[in-house]
Order: sequence, then structure tokens, then C-alpha cells
Amino acid sequence: MSLRKVLVFVELELRRLRHDPTEVFTRAVQPILWIGVFGTAMNRIRAIPTGSVDYLTYITPGVLMQSTSFIAMAYGIMLVWERESGILKKVLTLPLSHFTITLGRSFAGAARALTQLFVILMVALPLGVKIILAPEALLLAMVAVFVGAAGLTALSILLAAFMKTRERFMGIIQAVTMPLFFASNAIYPVEIMPLPIRLISLGNPLTYVIQALRDALVYGAYFDSLYNICIVALFSAGMITLASVALRRIIE
Amino acid sequence: MRVDEGEVRGVLGPNGAGKTTMMRILTTQLRPTSGEAWVLGYHVVREASRVRRHIGYVPQEFSVWSDLTGYENLRIYAKLYGIPGDRRERVVWNMLDFMDLREAAGRLVKTYSGGMIRRLELAAALMVSPSVLFLDEPTIGLDPRARELVWSKILEYVKEYNATVVFNTHYMDEAERYANKVTVINRGAVVAEGTPEELVKLVGESSVARICIDSGVEKAVQLLSRVPGVVLLSSKNPLVVRLDDAERGMVQVMKVLVEGGVSVEQVSLRNPTLEDVFIKLTGKTFEEAEAESFRAVSAARRAIRKGG
Repeated sequence: MSLRKVLVFVELELRRLRHDPTEVFTRAVQPILWIGVFGTAMNRIRAIPTGSVDYLTYITPGVLMQSTSFIAMAYGIMLVWERESGILKKVLTLPLSHFTITLGRSFAGAARALTQLFVILMVALPLGVKIILAPEALLLAMVAVFVGAAGLTALSILLAAFMKTRERFMGIIQAVTMPLFFASNAIYPVEIMPLPIRLISLGNPLTYVIQALRDALVYGAYFDSLYNICIVALFSAGMITLASVALRRIIE
Repeated sequence: MRVDEGEVRGVLGPNGAGKTTMMRILTTQLRPTSGEAWVLGYHVVREASRVRRHIGYVPQEFSVWSDLTGYENLRIYAKLYGIPGDRRERVVWNMLDFMDLREAAGRLVKTYSGGMIRRLELAAALMVSPSVLFLDEPTIGLDPRARELVWSKILEYVKEYNATVVFNTHYMDEAERYANKVTVINRGAVVAEGTPEELVKLVGESSVARICIDSGVEKAVQLLSRVPGVVLLSSKNPLVVRLDDAERGMVQVMKVLVEGGVSVEQVSLRNPTLEDVFIKLTGKTFEEAEAESFRAVSAARRAIRKGG
């Protein structure tokens, strides 16, 4: 495996994004509603206990991760499309290992998802969200989003290997992403949820990404953030390994 | 099946015969369920990564990103092939020049014509100077001029690098014109192999007649099956028959048909071609065998180019 070849897939994605940046903005609509409408309303009635921070600040990392996870999970559809189009067949005949291809595509999906970090900060800051903008906080946030989104992209590649049509894939993505979002600490603290959901949220990678983001951007607890990033990295490494084994299935 | 170095091998067969599957096994995408294969002496399963280092491949569907420019596509492929940075730009521009795409290099691929896309895909496959080139329906859906241009580029490359080419095609004339040798496969097995001339001889030193009939095709088939020296190659209208002795045979055929009350619209006589071999070996006319897949693939390529 060569890291340089892995990064070529990221370059590919950034070039595509430069030619057609629509996704960056269309994906921003939902988070704007979450923060601008839902967050502002809930902030006023103070119905959810969020400790020392106001509700708007509390949900910003959660909404950010929701938006990035949608992009990452939708990445698999690109592979279903490339399978139909023949590009994937061609890529599989290049002198690249399946692991390199999967890692490259996962990083590419993560790079695409990372754009949301900046879009959402641009939306949230004018609304008065109190985010720490120190370089180390932003760097940790970027790493957290990237590592988490890479794992979710790999999960979507894994799902794409088993869902051969785009319609089925869309269905499964809907069925996976929304529950992941609600069974996490994105818009309320895990502690106020019923026990079963609390247990699910403990196994939910989104919970750890969001915690890492909150530690970095809201509380300034950089070591806690790093600790949570490490947990996410384990999940992502596992997903990438599984997806690389399943890659061949996509074209069979 | 065995292909020698420097050979241009055409593979023919009806839809579903296994042409694409065979090519996908040889390019290490699929593992064979049984049997074994080697490319340049490397085993396609056990030494797959070595095989991948020496081959170029153009799938029948589409193998470039339509939302990138032609230049960007080649740049990405060059990096994925591991062409070092100091040589990369030169290789990419040489390929763009070779394929007459320099002027279009900065345009998004979705604005390219079918022929330009095929040439770009070929460029992506040729930039590492592969010893073996696998082309799955290299000219499908292209107009005759674009087809000719694509083939001239392939042959130019073959001549310069003494490369080996294996191509699937549904254009009989391409197999006849460009292949040194042709393999006909049907239901996953080789049914004939040889130079186009050798294969044509399989039909015999005979002539082929095409008979258009107004009505009574079944009756005509019945009548002709009893005439000695006449072999029915296709029993659909127009009928295709092989005649051991063209002049006498033709007279006899006409006599039988007219006396049997079959009204004949048109008759033509010619030397046998690869198409007749195909009909004889697979029991299908080439149009029947390929029309369906041709339509499907052409439609898919059009849709993909438009970005789906």
C-alpha cells in the first residue's frame, strides 16, 4: 500500500468538488434548519439540560456530525454508480491493492464530508454559538470529523457491496443514518435517554465523534477529545478493513 | 485458448457466451469458478498484482470520470499507476497528443463525443505502455469514422510496442479486418479458433446465398432441407444457405422453391464471410446475438455520459 496512491483518491474527490460544489451547499440546508430553527427554539425554552453551555452551542457539534455522516454514508452510492458505469472495474485492474482502493475511497468521502465543518461554522458563528476557535481546537475537530467520516464512508462501501441497486442502497442509508443520529448524543445528552437507547448510543460511533468535537470546540478539553478520536479510529480501522475484504463483491 | 505475443486476437460469441466474463477473469477482477488462466506467465489469481502491472484494460461500459476534464482523468490515472512525478506530465500530454485530444484536454468529459471518450479511455489504458491490452467492445456505439480512428490508434500502438491485444467485438468486419486470429466462443467454451481466412474455410469452399422470401418461410425451409448439396445456415427470413456448387445449386434451389409455390423476392450470391461462420457455429445470426446487448450498452454509455 502506498499512501501517495491513497491520497490520489482524495485529489480526485476535491477536483470533482471544485467542478461541481453544489453538494457543499445543498447539504448545508438541513444543518441550517437544525441550528437556526430547532436549536434557537429549544434554546429559548431551555427544555433540555445541557450543563454549563447553552443549547445552541451544545447541538452544533451534533448537527455538524449529522451533516458529515450523511455525506459519508451517501458516498457508497457513488461506488454503486461506478460499478454500473465500469469505472470500478477499471480501477480494480490497476496496480493497487483492494485495501489501498478502499482506504483511498474512504478518505475521499471524508474529505468531501470535511467541507461541512467550515460551512456549519460559518452558519453557527453569526447565530451566537460559542465555539472555541483556537488552532488546536479546530485541528482536533478536523481530525475527529475526518476519522469519523472515513469510517462511515467505509461502512457505506460495505453496504454498497451487499446492496446492488441504487434504490435499495438509498433505502438502507435512510434506515441507518437517522437511527444513528437519534441514538447518539447529537441533540440531547445521553443521560436523559431511556436505558436501551443509552446502551445503543454507547456502541454508536457518532456518539464518540460528537463527544470529541464537543470536547475540542466547546469545552476546550483537548486530551478528552483525543481519547474519543482514538475510539473512533478503532471503529474506522475496522470498517475500512471489512470494506476492503468486501470490495470484490461489489463488481461480482 | 492461447494467445501468442504480439497477436491481435478478436473474440466473438453470442450475447451471454462468456466473452466479458473471460476478459474480467483475465484482468483479475473476477476469480474463475473453475479452470485456470495465465497472462504473460503470471497466474491470474495467485499472481494477480503482477498481472495488473502489465495490462491495460478498457471495459465496455465507461472508465473515465465524466465530471473531470480529460487532462485531469489522465493525471489521476497516471498517479494511480504510479508514474513518477518528473515523467507524469510528459506522459499525460504525450497520450493526449497521440489520441488527438490536446485541444479538448481542459474540457469536462461529459462534453466529449463518444469517439473522444473512447480515445481518452484508451489513453488511460496505454499510458504505462502495457504489454497486453484487453479491450471489451472497443468501438461499441461509435459511428464508422470514429470506429476507424479508434482502431488506427490501437494498431499504431501495437506496431510501436509489439503489444498483444485481446478484444471482444460485435462488429464482424472489425474482427475480419483487424484481428490476426479470431476465437469464437459459445456457452463458455471455445467452438472455433483460427485466422479469419481459416475460419471462413470452415464454411467450406462453397458459396453462400441469401434468399428473401415473400411468404411461406416454413415451407421453404422444409423444401430446401431435402435438396442435396444445400445446407441451411439460417432458417429465418432472409434464408441463408450454403451451396457446395454455386451455379448448379442455385438453379436447383430456385426450381424447388418455385415448384413448391414459394414466392421469392430477391436472391444474392456471395463468398462466405466470418458472419456465416458465426451462424454455423452458434446457430444465430450476429445481429440477433448482439442486438440486445448492443442496445443496452449503447444506452448505458449515453446515460453515463450525461451523468446519469
